[in-house]
Amino acid sequence: MRDRSFAWSTGRCLRWALTAVCLASVALAQHGAVDLDGNTVDPFAASSGKILVLIFLRRDCPVSSRYAPTIQQISARYGHDASFWLVYPDKAETGRTIHQYLSDYGYRLPALRDPDHTLVKLAHVQITPEVAVFDRKHQLIYDGRIDDWYVKPGQSHPAATTHELSDAIRAALAGQSVENSEVRGVGCYISDLD
Amino acid sequence: MLHLGPRLKRGTRGPGWSPASCLLSSWLRASWPQWPLALLTIFGAVAALFGWPAARAASDQKLEGREVTFNRDIAPIVFRSCATCHQPGEAAPFSLLTYSDVKKHARQIAEVTEARTMPPWLPEPQKLKLADELRLSEMQIKLFREWFDQGAIEGDSRDLPPAPKIAEGWRLGTPDLILTAEKALTLPPQGSDTYWNFIFHLPIQQTRWAKAIEIRPGDKRYVHHANILVDRAGSLRSREAAPGGGFGGMEIQIESQTFDPDSHLLFWKPGTVPYVEPEGMALRLDKGTDLVLNTHLQPSGKTEVIQPSIGIYFTDHPATKLPMLLQLENDAKLDIPAGQKDFLVTDEFKLPVDVELLAIYPHAHYLGKDIQAYATFPDGKKETLIHIPQWNLNWQAVYRYQQPVLLPKGTTVSLRYVYDNSEENPLNPNRPPAHVMGGNRSSDEMCHLWLQVLPVHYDVARGDPRMVLQEALARHNLEKNPADFEAHYNLAAMLQARGQLADATGEYETALHLRPEDAAANNALGAVLLAAAKPGEAVQYLARALQIRPGYFDAHYNLGQALASQDNFEDAAQQFRQALQAQPDDANAEANLGSALAEMGQFTEAKTHFERALQIDPHHSLAKQNLEELLRLMNQH
Repeated sequence: MRDRSFAWSTGRCLRWALTAVCLASVALAQHGAVDLDGNTVDPFAASSGKILVLIFLRRDCPVSSRYAPTIQQISARYGHDASFWLVYPDKAETGRTIHQYLSDYGYRLPALRDPDHTLVKLAHVQITPEVAVFDRKHQLIYDGRIDDWYVKPGQSHPAATTHELSDAIRAALAGQSVENSEVRGVGCYISDLD
Repeated sequence: MLHLGPRLKRGTRGPGWSPASCLLSSWLRASWPQWPLALLTIFGAVAALFGWPAARAASDQKLEGREVTFNRDIAPIVFRSCATCHQPGEAAPFSLLTYSDVKKHARQIAEVTEARTMPPWLPEPQKLKLADELRLSEMQIKLFREWFDQGAIEGDSRDLPPAPKIAEGWRLGTPDLILTAEKALTLPPQGSDTYWNFIFHLPIQQTRWAKAIEIRPGDKRYVHHANILVDRAGSLRSREAAPGGGFGGMEIQIESQTFDPDSHLLFWKPGTVPYVEPEGMALRLDKGTDLVLNTHLQPSGKTEVIQPSIGIYFTDHPATKLPMLLQLENDAKLDIPAGQKDFLVTDEFKLPVDVELLAIYPHAHYLGKDIQAYATFPDGKKETLIHIPQWNLNWQAVYRYQQPVLLPKGTTVSLRYVYDNSEENPLNPNRPPAHVMGGNRSSDEMCHLWLQVLPVHYDVARGDPRMVLQEALARHNLEKNPADFEAHYNLAAMLQARGQLADATGEYETALHLRPEDAAANNALGAVLLAAAKPGEAVQYLARALQIRPGYFDAHYNLGQALASQDNFEDAAQQFRQALQAQPDDANAEANLGSALAEMGQFTEAKTHFERALQIDPHHSLAKQNLEELLRLMNQH
């Protein structure tokens, strides 16, 4: 199990750990995750005491897009106990383009832009689509693929047979750890956006 | 009952028609893919003019220690080999037209090119060169990796070649005829792939010749491939739940009424530019012909509306060369145990005439792995026709040869397909693996190879060489599988067309023995017996066909003929009426109904139907002749 506050402290812990200071500082706010209107948002603070699931997506990544129904089904099932956020790490994206995308795909989840990859680093993710699951104490217990639907870009199984995201949420609910806490996904590299 | 003077002639179904001989054909038709040559040519010419390093990037120069830049090394490859699809409005999910576009996928591109997933090109290099090859060289692949490793440098803007032209509108100019699917298909956001067929009715009043057909499959991002099938008898209309609504299904079977083998591969896959048929090889399109677009669609994550259209370009030059599609197959051998990794299926066919091989289209479903076809020439020499070591249904394609390949009489064409039904095959539709047989559903397996061949050096006096090929193929299929229904059926239809009615009857009987409940076979046996002047025997099969398939036009029509030949005009008229319910615009059925009524003395009503036949087809000679005769009789009485 990895402790989010450790990863946080090597990064920019001050911004969200000390919310009041962060919000006051425009310079710092520019380096955090923002909502589609450009306001700094701390999904951890907003999900206090709840399991937190960050889902990293790219609009120009077809694998990301094809997962929309699965993501919505999982978030509908566990929405009571867990807080789900879509995170867009592409700094070239605007709130408007993402808003349109959410409407096209029928998403009803809050979305964030993460232009400086603050959340990416915190979540240890590398690919879109990948997810990070934090338990109620907001310790990272799983990061990686949603399931094993895709084998490689352009090649998918007819249906998934492993369900890492659901398993991790259930583990978090039960207060247990996840055996394979990191399983890389198939899709588009987030590092290509650096 | 008063007997009328001269017996009125009963119309047959057009010149050269043998009553409802239905050639069952399960040939898939697809047109070979064409990459945008015009675009590449323009770019190539400009590059040569200004000395842009299109050739330099792909050369065998050493990379060590050299800086690899987008503008000099990467852009020429991307513009040539990726941008055709990776541009707005095309099939790819993102554009690759600028430095920032490409940089945003630099690592991914390095990986997918190394894995040869992109650009999609399945065949191995071979001696018989394929047209429009998309395979990258080892050097090009190394350049992508090196570029990423060095930090995806943009480089000197003076090195950047001109961006490729964005393709817009119909590629060959405004088509002579544009048809849009009547009803769009709503593709659900998730689930398995969808196979859907859209039927386009041709609004032409006379035979036309098409030199090209452009397929616009709807939103290209969600269409994996599409094939046009020519349905000359409208045999697939009955598959639609509501007219114009289309119907589902991956593999479809077409019945045709004359010996008219499929000739063209009308195929679309991402990046395809419509292919203009060579001089003399236009596709014949008749009044009443349907074009059926068979599409493979993939859910995108959101609901998509797919409404394809096709554009047809006509020519005034009728076909002078008649290619045909030869199908090798061995579906009967597809009986693949769960878990088996290397299941081999083969087929071999010795050519009875000289042909030129123009294009090849291998086809298997999700278990296909190593797909090969080769020719063994009469002198024993072997040549690979196609070799796909890692088959992927999603990237199936028609491959055209750069030059026609002469395959002399006596050449054996062999297919050798290996199937992987283990868990290691990621595309295996069954997890855990299950026993899989041959069949038409996407979860079944297939072993097909289509060859577009043009018979050459033949003696016209010995008959149509396509029929020689088709007969050899049917006999070959029967050797392989004596219980092959379609082979017996098609052989019978050919024998019938050649006037060998007794032999044809025997083959139809065998076919019917294999599938007693097949409506088309019952109808065909009835029709050949009718042609052999045995209407009494014909009636039972035609009636059976109608029990199995109520409203079957051909069977009603033929039964009407059979009853009329037995002078049972009342029942015959009834059959023609029912035929007309199925196909209201059939001039022959109208003319025959008129004849039956006239025979019964119902002149006024008969006259109406002859006139209706002439409305549908003003040149219908029998209707004209009979109407004149009728008017003469009416004046006498």
